[in-house]
Amino acid sequence: MFNALEVLQPTILERPLDELWQRISPLYSADEEKWLTELLALAEPTDAQLKASTEAATHLIEQVRADGESMSMIDSLLLEYSLDTKEGILLMCLAEALMRVPDKETADAFIKDRLSVADWASHANNSDSFFVNASTWGLLLTGKVVSMDETKDGKPANLVNRLVNRISEPVIRKAMNQAMKIMGHQFVLGRSISEALSRGKSYRDKGYTYSFDMLGEAALTADDADKYLTSYMQAVESVGQDTYSKGYRPTISIKLSALHPRYEVGCEERVMTELFDSVKQLITRARELNVGITIDAEEADRLELSLHLFEKLFRDECTKGWGSFGLVVQAYSKRCLPVLTWLAALAKDVGDRIPLRLVKGAYWDSEIKLCQQRGLSGYPVYTRKESTDVSYLACAHFLLSPHTREWIFPQFASHNAHTIATIATIAERHGATTNEYEFQRLHGMGDALYNRLIKEKDVCVRIYAPVGSHKDLLPYLVRRLLENGANSSFVHRLVDASCPVSELVDHPVTTLKGRKTLRNPFIELPRDMFKDRDNSYGPNIEIESEWRPFKAGVDAFMGAETQWTAKPIVAGDDVTTDDVHAVTSPYDHSLVAGQVHWANAEIVNQAIDSAHAAYPAWSQTPADERAACLERMAKLMEANYSELVAICHREAGKTIQDSIDEVREAVDFCNYYAQQARQNFAAPKTFTNYLGENQTAQFAGRGVFACISPWNFPLAIFTGQVAAALVAGNAVVCKAAEQTSLIAYRAVQMLHEAGIPKDVLHFVPGNGATVGAPLTQHPHIAGLAFTGSTGTAQLINRTLANRGVAPVPVIAETGGQNAMIIDSTSLPEQVVRDAVRSAFASAGQRCSALRVMFVQADIADRVIPMIAGAMKQQTVGLPYLHSTDVGPVIDEKAQKMLLEHIEIMKKEGRLIAQSPLPEWADKGTFVAPTAFEIDSIDQLKDEKFGPIMHVIRYQAKDLDQIIDTINNSGFGLTMGVHSRNETTCRHIAKRARVGNLYINRDQVGAVVGVQPFGGQGLSGTGPKAGGPHYLPRFAKEQLA
Amino acid sequence: MTIVKPIQIDVANQALEAWNSLGVAGRSDALSRSLKGLKDAQARMAQWQLDNAAHAIGEADVLPGPTGESNVLSTHGRGAFLVTAQPDFEAERTEVGLVGQLYAALVAGNPVITVGPEGQALMDNIAPYVAEGVIQNVALSAQDSLLDSEQLAGVAILCDDQQAQALSQRLAAKDGLLCQLVEETDGDTLSTIGAPHYILRFVTEQTVTNNTTAIGGNATLLELGSKAE
Repeated sequence: MFNALEVLQPTILERPLDELWQRISPLYSADEEKWLTELLALAEPTDAQLKASTEAATHLIEQVRADGESMSMIDSLLLEYSLDTKEGILLMCLAEALMRVPDKETADAFIKDRLSVADWASHANNSDSFFVNASTWGLLLTGKVVSMDETKDGKPANLVNRLVNRISEPVIRKAMNQAMKIMGHQFVLGRSISEALSRGKSYRDKGYTYSFDMLGEAALTADDADKYLTSYMQAVESVGQDTYSKGYRPTISIKLSALHPRYEVGCEERVMTELFDSVKQLITRARELNVGITIDAEEADRLELSLHLFEKLFRDECTKGWGSFGLVVQAYSKRCLPVLTWLAALAKDVGDRIPLRLVKGAYWDSEIKLCQQRGLSGYPVYTRKESTDVSYLACAHFLLSPHTREWIFPQFASHNAHTIATIATIAERHGATTNEYEFQRLHGMGDALYNRLIKEKDVCVRIYAPVGSHKDLLPYLVRRLLENGANSSFVHRLVDASCPVSELVDHPVTTLKGRKTLRNPFIELPRDMFKDRDNSYGPNIEIESEWRPFKAGVDAFMGAETQWTAKPIVAGDDVTTDDVHAVTSPYDHSLVAGQVHWANAEIVNQAIDSAHAAYPAWSQTPADERAACLERMAKLMEANYSELVAICHREAGKTIQDSIDEVREAVDFCNYYAQQARQNFAAPKTFTNYLGENQTAQFAGRGVFACISPWNFPLAIFTGQVAAALVAGNAVVCKAAEQTSLIAYRAVQMLHEAGIPKDVLHFVPGNGATVGAPLTQHPHIAGLAFTGSTGTAQLINRTLANRGVAPVPVIAETGGQNAMIIDSTSLPEQVVRDAVRSAFASAGQRCSALRVMFVQADIADRVIPMIAGAMKQQTVGLPYLHSTDVGPVIDEKAQKMLLEHIEIMKKEGRLIAQSPLPEWADKGTFVAPTAFEIDSIDQLKDEKFGPIMHVIRYQAKDLDQIIDTINNSGFGLTMGVHSRNETTCRHIAKRARVGNLYINRDQVGAVVGVQPFGGQGLSGTGPKAGGPHYLPRFAKEQLA
Repeated sequence: MTIVKPIQIDVANQALEAWNSLGVAGRSDALSRSLKGLKDAQARMAQWQLDNAAHAIGEADVLPGPTGESNVLSTHGRGAFLVTAQPDFEAERTEVGLVGQLYAALVAGNPVITVGPEGQALMDNIAPYVAEGVIQNVALSAQDSLLDSEQLAGVAILCDDQQAQALSQRLAAKDGLLCQLVEETDGDTLSTIGAPHYILRFVTEQTVTNNTTAIGGNATLLELGSKAE
């Protein structure tokens, strides 16, 4: 592991740059205990230093609190509306969405939704700040009305609800918008740079300077990126013309994600050319005008990419000899310290100094969530706040060391008095003068602290100030509120007079060392997030240290010399047949992945007979032993990750992330069903029967289960069905889709290896006629699990019913006509991202994929062009490349059907956009992702299983009609809803007859045991796969 | 093929949404008021089904998942259910079994159509306590048209093995949704109807996944970041 103390040795910068680079990535999700132990050694103060920094911090806080104007308006707002109150959260939600809602009806409904559930009255006049009371006033309409009613009715929440109902809605809407504008005004320095420069003059007179940031979200389209580039360019021009002569010159902060619609590792080639060109253009002009440029930090997945780009720019002529091109690094990142050492060495190598802003980090919550969702190896950030503070101070030691100061100009961004005081102490220790570093703070926050500091020390303080319209402010505002509104935040506690100063000056090293563990036990590692089973593992392909070994592993199976042969497996023996079919890769039909020997009726009958004979012993095997087989299977799949991913590519045409998700889902099925079987099948359960007597119920297998699975999840669904049937105590004869039998064959081999007796599980590859028919006609089949089309499910059901034996369970998961409903409170950028993923990921070949998007007419003209722009950015291509978003469809039959539908829609609908296809697309079966606008869902007769999205505009008043139309289609699989109005979301959830409803996210990628999956009506029989009711349907409930 | 659309199914489907929205507790409240009109053994069975439903599906399951997201699994009625007994099915507990089927189907959230005079008596007993369309009865002669309807969600029946096979074949012959057959062939012990997981045969499930970060849900996570043991 990286030796943290080594960074204090000047020799560190003499090491080869490449060697220092190699130290960065392995720390991505390093063991927190071990790595923090290293950092603690670096950050640990001596007794004298601790005393000095504590005294300095105490002094600073006492002075700030004694200062009459200590509390800025934002501070007051955060104190009153802390995020540990319902009102704080509701206020944030209202602020986030209200100003972008164009239609009055939706705005009124939204306000009513937000205001009616919180206790606003309790905040009235609580604060000394006029601004806070003005906001509260806006939220309550008038304090007078409230206080009058409060005496009659002690429930203010109901009261506000009544007020909202009673007082005319336009008045409320106006008041609310006004309140939001007041808030916006406080957080945004100006709507343009010139306004910001003008408003910022008073602060500059006090000695501050600025770094301006143009507000906005990440670009999704080329147009967005162009707009942001123009806006940054204008900012550079304006600052360039600034004539204020005192103090340090303002700079511009830029977000790379705003300047390119695909600023991500998979698109590195584009980033290093297209984005490079855009930033170079900016830098060139900025240098001409002497306006420093700083690249903002973004999500952890983009860190390494951002450093590559930074290096290329930093070595380019456009920055050579300038010294005003810098970047931001986040201390909450475990890679922070090695990144800083590499940057210092880079600066030394090039010979220019780098201005470097050290921040604590702005995406902590989403980093944690994403890692949990993706089952990553660990977290890229620290799980305790004080650990980030320790990291910050450790990094400060390095940045302020003499050998580093020569190459890095450190800019410390913090609102924490203790951090600020300690930095100053560290600077003194390292002999750094106040012109060798600077502090930074956010506009609207920490005024009192820095006003005091600027008076006492001759140090530069730069204000990071957002510039832009109030509407663009809102997502930004939310992040700031989340960062600083929580009770624990220093900002909050600083202004809270009830919090003793002594609590605010605890050194983070002391606090952290006082914990039982350095890692936060309340935030389990992604692997351990389920209490009763392991979560599946997913490598992070955005991170060099994980991507390289993963790719090398998969590549070993990607050559033509690797061929798989699948045969029927009966009682553990491979059966060679004459009916051999080559498997070609959907992305290039000239490439062969292997061969499949199809079974026939005789082989199927042999398999069923063998399974039938093996069933009694297997059903008597303790559930615990059966479960252990599945857990071993889960481990085997993870041990064979590379091979399984390679087969997903070559046989099914799945992209890299889809293949990873495929393996993960299969692993999750095994672990989840094992846990469920242990919980519910291991021993009889006693209950009181309808006669009032005690009785026991015990689940037992039914006999031989037939499992028939589809090609779109060739490993996950196949394994899920088989694992469920087996662990419930059944013998199994399984048939995979004829397109994807290779991976199924490997899964059966692994299940046998995991301990499933060979005569209990049999594999019969083939198509419906050769295998499906004899399988479903056999009288010994005691139950069937099927995933596929509604028509095939009906056919199978008929065949089973016609056998002349007792009815058996049929568990069918079938198709859908999945909709997404988007109202005008939703965030368009989020909608577009989620809709594009829902409709086109996996080439639309998911049962859950979005087919029909209903968008409220009031925002349709904004959302639809954004979708078109985002679709143009999608790369259709070879599924095993990181740059590919959409791979091929499964075969020619599917391709033909989809292309025919596209032709029909071109006549009956209006083409919104079609993603470009590669020139060589004819080698395989590709269908360009396509979106059409149509008038009614009735124009669609059945599901089109591929990358085609239909968009329908609707009027807000017609929402219920839309739900009725969707319900009347008879399908009921998934639905997406995008709305900030919780009442609307609840209403849709209550009325929509769908199996899986997703609110404010995409509608694909259900997770086993977390989002049990399956539909209703024409979409399936249930119970849901990956849910608690699934296994009982595979079993008999025997009463004794 | 003639598409059969009996009016009773339309009526039942119109009642479905409101009946479902009452939840298990609301439906159980309504149905328990009807118990006094049943014979003792029937009432015991009905009460058991209501209690069992409360235990098995009474509360939505809050499922574990990543921070900043809520996942809730709930159950709902499937749709119109035909509840009946084979006319010549002779067994010790047919009457009790019929009541068991009926109350299980209803408390699970399905509107129910009963058949014949026995069905009529049961319907008359329940109808005053539930909304119109939640329970209906048809004459035996009208049963065929219901069985052939593509919109019938399920059939719960007490019958012998042969009848179960024949019915299974008939229901499978239809287009449309896969109609559920919930058969009890042991009229003496009611081993299917009296099993704790019987109720699951009458439900469909819904998972609602809510990205709560969009409405401030991550505040909880931020609190965790500084929580002390």
